Amino acid sequence: MMERENGNRFVMPAVVMLSLVTIYPLLSVLYLSLHRRLPIFDVSKFTRLDNYRFLLTDDRFWNALRNTVYFAATSVTLELLFGLGIALLLNRSFRLKGVVTALVLIPWAVPTVVSARMWEWMYNTDFGILNYLLGMKINWLGSPFWAMNAAVFMDVWKTMPFVVILLLAGLKMIPREIYQAARIDGAGAWPIFMKITLPLLMPVILVVLILRTLDALRIFDAVYVLTGGGPANTTETLSIYAYKVLFQTLQFGYGSTLSVVIFLCIGSLSILYLRLLRAEGSR
Amino acid sequence: MISIFLCGLGCTSDREQKGASGTTIVFKHGKIAGNPKPIRDLLDRFERENPGITVKDETLPASTDEQHQFYAINLDSQSTDFDVLSLDVIWVPEFARAGWLRDVTRVMTEGEQNAFFPGPVQAVTQDGRLFAVPWYIDAGLLYYRTDLLKKYNRSVPKTWQELVNIAQEITERERNLYGFIWQGKQYEGLVCNVLEFIWSNGGGVLENSRPVIASRPNIEALQFMRDLIVKWRITPPLVLTAIEEPTRHIFGSGRALFMRNWPYAWSVFSREDSAVRGKVGVAQLPSFPGHVSAPTLGGWQLGVNRFSLHPEEAEKLIRFLTSLSAQKTLALTVGYKPTRKALYKDPDLLREQPFVGSLYSIFMTARPRPVTPYYMMITQVLQPEFSAAIAGIKTPEAALGSAQKQVERILGEEL
Amino acid sequence: MKRAVFYLMIACVVLWSAGPLLWQFATSLKPDAELTRLPPILPPEPTLDHYRALFTDTTFLRIIANSAIVSSCSTALSLAIGALAAFGLAELNVSAKRFVLLFVLSASMFPPIATVSPLYLIIRGLGLRDTWWALIVTYTSFSLPLSVWIMTNFFRQIPDELYRAARVDGCGPFQAFIRIMLPLAAPGVVTTAILVFIFSWNEFLFALTFTATAKSRTIPVAIALFPGLHEIPWGDIAAASVVVTIPLIILVFAFQRLIIEGLTAGAVKG
Repeated sequence: MMERENGNRFVMPAVVMLSLVTIYPLLSVLYLSLHRRLPIFDVSKFTRLDNYRFLLTDDRFWNALRNTVYFAATSVTLELLFGLGIALLLNRSFRLKGVVTALVLIPWAVPTVVSARMWEWMYNTDFGILNYLLGMKINWLGSPFWAMNAAVFMDVWKTMPFVVILLLAGLKMIPREIYQAARIDGAGAWPIFMKITLPLLMPVILVVLILRTLDALRIFDAVYVLTGGGPANTTETLSIYAYKVLFQTLQFGYGSTLSVVIFLCIGSLSILYLRLLRAEGSR
Repeated sequence: MISIFLCGLGCTSDREQKGASGTTIVFKHGKIAGNPKPIRDLLDRFERENPGITVKDETLPASTDEQHQFYAINLDSQSTDFDVLSLDVIWVPEFARAGWLRDVTRVMTEGEQNAFFPGPVQAVTQDGRLFAVPWYIDAGLLYYRTDLLKKYNRSVPKTWQELVNIAQEITERERNLYGFIWQGKQYEGLVCNVLEFIWSNGGGVLENSRPVIASRPNIEALQFMRDLIVKWRITPPLVLTAIEEPTRHIFGSGRALFMRNWPYAWSVFSREDSAVRGKVGVAQLPSFPGHVSAPTLGGWQLGVNRFSLHPEEAEKLIRFLTSLSAQKTLALTVGYKPTRKALYKDPDLLREQPFVGSLYSIFMTARPRPVTPYYMMITQVLQPEFSAAIAGIKTPEAALGSAQKQVERILGEEL
Repeated sequence: MKRAVFYLMIACVVLWSAGPLLWQFATSLKPDAELTRLPPILPPEPTLDHYRALFTDTTFLRIIANSAIVSSCSTALSLAIGALAAFGLAELNVSAKRFVLLFVLSASMFPPIATVSPLYLIIRGLGLRDTWWALIVTYTSFSLPLSVWIMTNFFRQIPDELYRAARVDGCGPFQAFIRIMLPLAAPGVVTTAILVFIFSWNEFLFALTFTATAKSRTIPVAIALFPGLHEIPWGDIAAASVVVTIPLIILVFAFQRLIIEGLTAGAVKG
């Protein structure tokens, strides 16, 4: 039984590279989060955990947190379900499969700046194609109810290819022999999916889940262009709030505190996912 | 091989020549509408008149948020990468207080301040000193359909209630027509719109630097805006998503009777292919009885980076770009409205753009948003609250009451 | 019947994915005045004005070149570094493996707006403002969580025996990595490459902050520069988005064989 060699040197370049972009910003942001820093008024005071204490009572923060969680949960769930469906579809062999696969990737390929404006236009009550096709006059981005769901829908459109392409690659890694053996044994399509495909796909699904959730929790550009966080902060996500505090009101201290808290929230969720992944891997 | 070598030689001597002859200053500004060539020509003219100074102009996206972010990051770290910057009218008090802008009072000669509109001058002044020079001006206008008003024999409304009555009457008789559209998305433009109602009712945000946000006139004005949507129904709910362009599109395709927007829309409506060409009029915004119309002041100013390594050259550039002739050129080529009053009687400008003459009185009454370094924080409080009131999520009293508390806290915090 | 339903579903998926871009394409052919008129969906008199506007301005070509160079280099670097790390994490012993995985992931836990300011100061301090390198290093680093995590997962799925067999045959770990692991994980590797490329191609915030002129400006920033203060030239933006998305689609199409076919079947049998 051969012992595994040490792989540290393979991992070193990645770790070094990442340290460059994570260590300094993290320390810098942590440092600022403990200060009251208002460059406009030349204020730079060490205030210990005052910012964090304030954050706990900050309604706008909790509102943003709720919006972000709703956004991430809904968006990721829908992406995963639809993405899995589409990946399974594309896994069959059919004519023009290559073209279709490439076309399916389009939403992910369109720059966010563009797709957000595109959707903003499509959601336009008067000139938007959605209302035109539905024959209705829904105020998609101006109604507190519809706005958040419109944002979710746009995000699902945009990020579904990411899920599809990864799950497709995952499906391709499952050796055909397993399917052939199962079919010889007389198993039907659904049991094959539940007992063979899904379990073998689970590691990829979890990786996709982690990566997508992390991205969804940090969502900024797309929603900011679409709604600006409105109406009345009903679509303001954590990143949008942090952006406004940091770069609009120039409160570098509190903005950093928000960033740290976002990081911690996402970090704890990641640790949870990692536990799941480990449990999955050891099976 | 030899050609590359020679080219390299050529390049170096070029660089040496430039280096030996003078300084390069960087002019950082948001994207100029339309063709960038006129600005470059203007800068080239400056370079010819000032041998030894080269101007490099670098563009930022026109989005005011993105520019603000860029300047905040750079100026906080005392960047020397740019010398002249263009500033949104609402940032000047903030940047001045932060010590990021050079005092440019001496760029204007004695009494020259009177040559400019009072609003912008007020917005760039702090403690009697000037921290930027007004470059071009913007203010809220009332656009209306001349053909429809004529058809129903109505004159341009002077009060908001008149506007409502006219709009109700006409939209009942005409198909596919919105009464009055404006910008109600949750962004800075919303504050501009709301302030135009609030001010024209005698209300305001700050008085003697203290917040008076939950006042009676304010509540009435905000309620009036909500009523435009739900009670009189002359404004469609879609204004909650609208910024300038969507409303411009609606009016430009003939689907609205009245619109509040900035002067830029006029040139779009005058184009050959515009559906409303020749049918658009522009007037001062209405007010509430007993008060004056109060268009919100917009526009951009030129400032000098306090950390600039070439402040004198930078000041020269500002002086040039805000001079009578440069402003006239910009007005004729790019459509930027001058901040110098004299140009509104200039025969050449009036001949090319007769519309400009009618803007004079409007620009004279344009009011700047609260001129305080706290403004950016205040507007971040106002935007969601105004939006909540207009969307019907909160009553105007509740929204303004909440805004009042939040602004009190901001202003009350010890520095 | 089943076949028909299948093809119908495929058609729906394609319409869903490509529909909005087709609409962008239709918009890009409409003259300015028609932009907001609906109907018609398709312009009765299509015009190439918007495309002309894009290309007469030669800086747009330079910008596409910038994006191409930055994205290619970032992808190559990210794949190289990421694949090495993934190999180590999947097959070999790595100290504090769980911590390393979490550390790698942590770069994706930061809201980018928080990191942009400190990183910009470093970039400026190093004199890398308005250069390709600023973006290449940044994109490579921030795409590492993607690279490492995806490829680690795919390397793990390759049966251990294959790696052992190669080692027994006399290959060093690195050789085994190149000859056996990489080809077998081709779907994963190619997918990662595509995703990292698209990430770099479309990244906006860092590109906006680190670049100043057309010297290093990338496509998303250029598109953000289209609108004026109030005006938004929908036609030009639509044309740009079509021009900018097509290369990516072509790229994916070129490599889709590797994703779809993979080399698993052959290798496992052999």
